[in-house]
Amino acid sequence: MRVRTPLIAVSALALAATVAACGPSAPSKTADGGTDATLTIATTTDVVNFNPLVGNSRTDNWITSLMYPRLLTIDANGAKQPYLAKSFGYTNPTTGFYELRDDMKWSDGKPVTASDVAYTINAILKDKPAGNTTYGQLVNVDSASAPSPTRVELKLKTPDSTVVSEAGFWMNVVPQHVFEPAGSVANFPNNSNWVSAGPYKLTSFAKGQNYTLERVTPYPFAPNGTPTVAKIVYRVYPDVNTEILALKNGDVDLIANALPPAQVKNLQGASGIKVEEVPGLGYAHMTYNMKRKPLDNVKVRQALAHTVDYNAIRSVVLQGQAVSTGSSPIPPVLKEFVDPSLEEYNFDPNLSKQLLAEAGYGPGKTLTLSMIYSLQDAVTSQWATIVKDDAAKAGITINLQGMDRNTYLAKTAAGEYDIYAGNFAIMDDPTTNMALTYLPGGAINYSLVDDPALNELITKAQASTDKAEQKSLAQQAAKLVHANVYDNVMYMQNLYFAHSDKWSGFVIKPSELLSVVDPQSLANVTKS
Amino acid sequence: MPQVVRFAVRRLGRGVLTLWFAATVTFLLLRLLPGDPALAVASPNMTPEARQILLHQYGLDQPLLAQYGKYLWQLLHGNLGISFTQQISVTDVLLERLPWTLLLTISSLVVTVAVGIPLGVLAATRPRGLLDRLVQVGGVTGQSLFVPSVGIFLLFVFGLQLHWLPIGGAYSPGIYGAAWYGDVALHLILPCFSLVLVQLGSYVLTLRSTLIESLGEDYCVLARAKGLPNRKVVWKHGLRNALLPTTTLVGLQLGFLVGGAVLTETVFAYPGIGRGIYEAVTQLDFPVLQGAFVLLAATVVVANVLTDLAYGLLDPRVRTA
Repeated sequence: MRVRTPLIAVSALALAATVAACGPSAPSKTADGGTDATLTIATTTDVVNFNPLVGNSRTDNWITSLMYPRLLTIDANGAKQPYLAKSFGYTNPTTGFYELRDDMKWSDGKPVTASDVAYTINAILKDKPAGNTTYGQLVNVDSASAPSPTRVELKLKTPDSTVVSEAGFWMNVVPQHVFEPAGSVANFPNNSNWVSAGPYKLTSFAKGQNYTLERVTPYPFAPNGTPTVAKIVYRVYPDVNTEILALKNGDVDLIANALPPAQVKNLQGASGIKVEEVPGLGYAHMTYNMKRKPLDNVKVRQALAHTVDYNAIRSVVLQGQAVSTGSSPIPPVLKEFVDPSLEEYNFDPNLSKQLLAEAGYGPGKTLTLSMIYSLQDAVTSQWATIVKDDAAKAGITINLQGMDRNTYLAKTAAGEYDIYAGNFAIMDDPTTNMALTYLPGGAINYSLVDDPALNELITKAQASTDKAEQKSLAQQAAKLVHANVYDNVMYMQNLYFAHSDKWSGFVIKPSELLSVVDPQSLANVTKS
Repeated sequence: MPQVVRFAVRRLGRGVLTLWFAATVTFLLLRLLPGDPALAVASPNMTPEARQILLHQYGLDQPLLAQYGKYLWQLLHGNLGISFTQQISVTDVLLERLPWTLLLTISSLVVTVAVGIPLGVLAATRPRGLLDRLVQVGGVTGQSLFVPSVGIFLLFVFGLQLHWLPIGGAYSPGIYGAAWYGDVALHLILPCFSLVLVQLGSYVLTLRSTLIESLGEDYCVLARAKGLPNRKVVWKHGLRNALLPTTTLVGLQLGFLVGGAVLTETVFAYPGIGRGIYEAVTQLDFPVLQGAFVLLAATVVVANVLTDLAYGLLDPRVRTA
């Protein structure tokens, strides 16, 4: 016994010392403008990768976008707006350009220049950080150059009218003087000594715990060039329900994740909490695998489209927090492109039966299909049951195959389904998204459609730099998708974000990726 | 070779074999998992070419045997590989999280033993008394509890309703110095008690039954007959023998503790290895999962080898077993 007591004491001390090594050290005080306030935000996942050219999870985006500027941003209508780039466009069909503002600086005092942008684009092309969204968008780009400190030029392999706005919106610009010495951007973890171009710079983090960012000045999109809040702290919680408890408890000021539909009304009535509504840019849909019979028959697809009670799904599952797109792949938030003449497939089991009979199905020959969806997606899991029940009214049997996300993704990639049910998060540019969704070989062409007429419309729209022509081509393509049920777009969900009513001044951006945690929003919030 | 050394070598050899087996099973099981690590981390509009690049970067485009050989070779050199998603060494990923898991498991073990021994003794010394009945009912109930359910219950009552304790994490940001230790202790209470509640029953019931048995043995009867006070008979004679199976249970429970910690850390967003495993599973980060499972297997194997060796030293009959 005499030996054990010191042994226990030593062990306890060793353990305390080990845990203490995980402890934070007090940050040094900053004395620039703004307030001393700290905004604490809840998230459900850790940062997977601090390198914005590799990481693509939501939390990665939320945090790295505060540090690495994008060339463009979007407004509440989903239209692209200048950000680091003052202007952008094409000088000829194979040359794109960005003209940069000259008042943004990295946190180590060096200016953000066209060289940083050209380096970022060329590094992505060379090192192919494959998890990155931008890599796929730069497929038509040969190289980028910086003829002056504020001008970036893109040399294109083939005319592509979407690459300037798409890469400008999606790509974070990284500091060349930090990333270049590290070698390949695909393998650079960027997990310390961050250099940021505001409004915030990561200063410390504890995995699974919290991420602390401190303001960077000057930041031209904040009042007087200074973000109002001194510190942003992201705290990690297991799920959105725990985040809601934390907000009610006063542990956090804002929840970064969109609220589950069932919680929206509850929180709208809660004291001390304010709920912001954000238009969505993505949509929920079902696609019918056209490589499988009888889904290659348009009548069968039309029959399926008419078996769904879309209104019921929007009012019951989404609790009225979603809008119809008119069964069009162009979300209504994109006011520049939307075609109001398209009408939603109506719920009509009798019409479905008639169409099925024309396709050779009836009482003697029933149609049985399987539908895959991710069980992690609570909303889709709920409406899948409604889809199955409604289909039964038209004599169609749908076997539901809810599965974990990884299996679902694998089955999707392999085309192992009759019906795919899921969501696209951000469809910010109709032409780009139609190319991905409906061209043969498109990365998210889950219906496996290959229609020459549709291919021609989309390819023409991609090459056209005339906005009016591009709009007309996109709308014709949407009509074809609608008529042939190449995609069954069911609704576009509005998003709701909850925060403490002590905070105000959030700038609303469509999509969960930007929402109210976009850099321009967080640099402008104030505490009452 | 002396018998004790032969015994130690045999046990250590068995431990190494167990580790190799655990490492191999982990490797194979991960490759049998449905899903594709490239798809788990990539953006949805990734091209097939980009997927191939990712698979190549991960080394998953090589034949299974080549992957296995590389994995074992790295393991032999103490190299757990590079995380698919974070691009940093798995050792760093795990070392960052290990102290929290140690703090949680060791503190729950200490509290369990500290509460369990007196409870077991009190129940055994007054069989069929009120406390004994309560201990039996409570013990069986505790054994049947599910860790996450207990965690959510505690979180709801003490975190949300009473506002006594924080509802997640290991400490609050913005607290430094001595106050930080207090904050860490506060955050530890709920996850620690979740684990204590579900494992206490096994300790108390095991100790109770073995102590009742010991107290009925001849040497205890003789001690009483000699006029030794009951307190001394129980604590000095009966308990010393009754503690042996309980000590074994501590070793055996380590595996359970580790499993329990995974669930507890997930419920309370506690930043230990358990939560790390959960995240690595969602991202199919094979190197992190392999490293974490090897580390956990090594912990259990080492604990069991040490228990075996201690037993061997205490009881010569074990050495020849």
